Parts: sequence; C-alpha cells; structure tokens
Amino acid sequence: MHIGPGFLSPPVWMGAAAVSGAALAGSLAVAGRRLDDRKVPLMGVMGAFVFAAQMVNFPVLPGTSGHLGGGFLLGILLGAPLAMIVMASILIVQALVFQDGGIEALGANILVMGVMPAVIGEAVRRLWLRPLGVLADVATFLGGVAAVVLGATAVILMLWVSDSLPGSVGLWRAIGVMDLVHLVIGVVEGAASVAVARYVLKVRRDAVFGEPLAQREGAAA
Amino acid sequence: MTTYNRNTLIVGIVAALVVGGVMSYFASSSPDGLEKTQEDLDAAEPRHGGVEAPPVAFHEYSLKCLGEGFWSNAAAGVAGSLLVLGIVLLLGRALRRKDAPTPRA
Repeated sequence: MHIGPGFLSPPVWMGAAAVSGAALAGSLAVAGRRLDDRKVPLMGVMGAFVFAAQMVNFPVLPGTSGHLGGGFLLGILLGAPLAMIVMASILIVQALVFQDGGIEALGANILVMGVMPAVIGEAVRRLWLRPLGVLADVATFLGGVAAVVLGATAVILMLWVSDSLPGSVGLWRAIGVMDLVHLVIGVVEGAASVAVARYVLKVRRDAVFGEPLAQREGAAA
Repeated sequence: MTTYNRNTLIVGIVAALVVGGVMSYFASSSPDGLEKTQEDLDAAEPRHGGVEAPPVAFHEYSLKCLGEGFWSNAAAGVAGSLLVLGIVLLLGRALRRKDAPTPRA
C-alpha cells in the first residue's frame, strides 16, 4: 500500500508528514518509560519480521496481490508509541534502500501503515492483558480488517485531495474499488495478527506486558 | 542478556530471514491493492513532482549486482530485515531509560 513518488500534492504530503511527525515525536518522548531489557529485543525482531512479512505478496483478487501491514500487530504487542517507531523505521528503510514508496510520501505512508494501525492495535492490546479467550481473538481479527480498510480509505482520500484521481472517477467509486481489495487483504491481516499475537504472547508474555518473569508459565523462547 | 531474550532474538531473526529471504521469492508478482486500484481508475501516472531514492545497491527488492532471481531476492530480504533489526535495536537501547526495571532471572 506504499504511495509512490509524485502522487501526493505538496499540501497533502506536508500535512501528512506533520501529523506523522507529531505522532512520532510524542512516541519518542514516551518510549523510554515503555522500554526495558525485554522489550528492546522483542521490538527489534518484530521489526525485522514485519519487514520480511511485507515482502510476501499473496494473491487477493485476479491480477491483484496484497501484503501484510504489520502496524496493527505491533500496536498489540508493543503498544502504539513503540509500534509507530518500529513502523517508521521499516518504512524509511523501504523508501531509502528499496525504492518502495516515494520519499516525499514517507509521512503519508507512515500515517496509514504506522500511526493509524498502531492506534487501533493499542485499543485491542488491553483485551489480551487478561485471559479473554475468544473475545481477544475476534477483536484482533476485526481490528486487523479495520486497520487495513481505514488505511486504504485514507490513501484514496489523500490521492483525491491531491487531484491524483481522474475527474471522471467519483470519490465513492474510488473508495469502493480500493476498499473491496483491501477488505480481502484485511481478512488476511486480521487472521495473521491473531496467529502471531497468540504465539508471541504464549512465548513472551512477560516482555509484551512487562510482567515479572516469575509469573511466566513454561514455554521456551 | 537473559536466555529468554537470546532465544527471542534467535527465533525472531530466523523467522524473519526465512520469511524475507526464502518465502518472499514465491510471493505474487501481481500489482498490490493500491497499484491495481490506481491502474483500474486510470490514475497510475504521477501528476506531481515526486522524489524516489536512487537504486544504489538494490533495485527494488533485488540486489543489483545479482540481477533478478532467488539469491538476489534473498539478499534483499536478509539485508532489509537485518537493517531494520539493527536500527530498531539501536533506537531501543538509546531510548531505554537507564533506571528501567530489568528482569531478575
């Protein structure tokens, strides 16, 4: 879902960069309080994993692929501020090293794949704090779908305001085309988020929630 | 470093390298959801001035000196994953409060 170079008008990419920049500044300011010796390695490997997972495009509809975003999953496992920092790092590497996404569009890409899904992930995060079983699963799945569809809608809105959609294409039709594809991608994002969140919480619940190691039960890694 | 943290690093890095270095080779090469939408809406041509990073070592997710193919893609997946890992670990260490609680075990 990376917006390429030349699709956003200067007011739009500057505005998006300002919002993402403010969110990141806030995240960096509070990050110290949320980091301990267990969260730093978890944050590092989750960042590497999300970068890798984003490379795996899966078929969605005929002639169309999709890939995971990961910001929502990181919001659950790390909380919104750390998730935003990790997603920004990934998106900066993708733009600067792999020409994935325009450099001027970085703020917008961080907004739709980092800031927004991280906030939704944070909202779901607390459901995993207590053993809530199926409720946490369902909320995580739906949250993953919502994170992708909302991000996709935001992309279309930014393209529309940037005058990067032909005049003949109505805004609602554009949102419809974009959101239909991303609904399917969102289903995969939601399911993958449930699976990975379950696994990481099984093996490193102490690192995710900063609980004392003494409360851990079994499980290697 | 605790055993738990070391194991987390090992498991996480292996998972990232397998996914980014191997699985990604078998990824769909169809345009992604946004690209396809832009094509379908006849909106695939940029209308503004944009900036794209120069392909110094990598051309998209291929190592330039290896052309295309499995090893080129694997190099991109491995390099990108390790680069993100390194950046995030350094950031995390720098941001971590020195008086933050540390696990006892």
